[in-house]
Amino acid sequence: MTTLVHQMMIKNNTHEASFRDPSGSLFYDQDVLRRSIQPIYFSQYVALKERGFFDSLIQKKLLIPHTETSVSYEEIIITPEKIPFVTNPYEWSFEQYKQAALLTLKIQKYALSKGFILKDASAYNITFHKGKPILIDTLSFDFYKENTPWRAYKQFITHFLGPLVLSKYHGAEMLKMMQTYIDGLPVQLISSLLPSKTRLSSILYPNIHLLAKLEHKYNNDYKNEAKSGNLSKKAHENILTSLYDYISKLKQKKQSEWVDYYSKTNYNSEAFLNKKKLVKDWILQLETNSLIDLGGNDGTFARTVIEHVSNILVTDIDSNAIDLNYKQVRENKELNLLPFVCDILQPSAGIGFCNTERESLIKRLINFSPDVTLALALIHHLTLSGNVPFEKSAAFFALFSKNLIIEFPKREDSWVESLLIRKREFINHFDFYDQDNFETKFGIYFILIHKVRIEGTHRILYLYKKK
Amino acid sequence: MQFLYFDPGLGAMIVQAIVAAVAGVLLFTKNIVYKIKIIFGIKAKEDVTDSIDIDDNTSTSNDD
Repeated sequence: MTTLVHQMMIKNNTHEASFRDPSGSLFYDQDVLRRSIQPIYFSQYVALKERGFFDSLIQKKLLIPHTETSVSYEEIIITPEKIPFVTNPYEWSFEQYKQAALLTLKIQKYALSKGFILKDASAYNITFHKGKPILIDTLSFDFYKENTPWRAYKQFITHFLGPLVLSKYHGAEMLKMMQTYIDGLPVQLISSLLPSKTRLSSILYPNIHLLAKLEHKYNNDYKNEAKSGNLSKKAHENILTSLYDYISKLKQKKQSEWVDYYSKTNYNSEAFLNKKKLVKDWILQLETNSLIDLGGNDGTFARTVIEHVSNILVTDIDSNAIDLNYKQVRENKELNLLPFVCDILQPSAGIGFCNTERESLIKRLINFSPDVTLALALIHHLTLSGNVPFEKSAAFFALFSKNLIIEFPKREDSWVESLLIRKREFINHFDFYDQDNFETKFGIYFILIHKVRIEGTHRILYLYKKK
Repeated sequence: MQFLYFDPGLGAMIVQAIVAAVAGVLLFTKNIVYKIKIIFGIKAKEDVTDSIDIDDNTSTSNDD
């Protein structure tokens, strides 16, 4: 009976992202995410465990740690360490994407040396946790069979090399294409989007253009498995090493709007320090455990409280700002700050099967439920660039925020002035942009706790509590 | 049993032999160039990127 109840529970609470691999699946046991392993994968699981492979990957911080919860003939259940917030590949900056790709190659080469392979190389098997990329799909491994090619090779190209190389030539916006192609960018598409000079590259020609050609040629050839050929272990390693060398030197085409933002701010450094102090004091007063800084640039403000808040998310629309932020995370070995790319006017949608395979950003934020939401120097962009009425932005923040620290630049502020001037003959359409209107509309969803003018600026800082 | 739940692509399996051959030549020349540089005393530019290889003796390999 209990088994039946248990089975039903699994069926009802399966994690939406976990159905593609029949080896096992993730499910929620109340609030705890666990992984069920099916008998079809028992031999692999036992070998990975008993040969100490899982242990060494976990010890080296390459794989998410897990504990074994229960073992029976029908099913093994393991419980992975909790990840507070999962980011998806199309929310990574170039540098983050690159590190995720390198990690995948590293793990594959290591696995090979231990008699295993990564049976898939999906970008969704990696996420960022405690300041680093980490493999989260514990069942990604299979036995290595001597002289066989890497079956996940094409997946690596369409999930990692393709998007990265496209960013090299067209900018980091290309990484967002992963939102349209959940199975990786089609290789013919990657090939067609690359400049023709890449046909001369000894890495890009074989790995992309020739691959596209052969894939096209053998597209309908289902019987010719014998042709799939041999590949010695040494040759296999050479593929991995050459891809690793190439990717680790990749640089994206830069086009940034915000990176120098703080050197271009319209207020003096004293005002900047005042603002920092105010924000920090309020965050500490609220005994904040989790925080999201929306439009947080390179994380300057979030870092003022990094020692006091256990989970910090920092988003920005500009991938370069996220890159800078992520570099600081790596250099300072920060474990509790997670930067990712987000356009608040168009947050990542739910994608994949049933639109639920990868959750929308809003859904993840509601689950994350931050104690404090920071929205500094943001509302004028939402209102005057995005034309979002105050009531709608208030409703947006109210979706997931318990406390909201929001900065309102008045009409006299030079940023606001320049945004208004760009409206030209429609400038009167934005007469509603003033402090009274702002307060009334935010008052629908929030209770005002504090309101302070930032000295030396035309800006006001509000602390709101959700009604 | 080779167990796989998605199509690896026949073209992708075949191309790996060619990719590996090119990679082999690349890595071989890289090594030669490196050795020549050492012979002529040209200090190889400090390799800022880490290596793909995971050292079995160190505790963490994801720390670069």
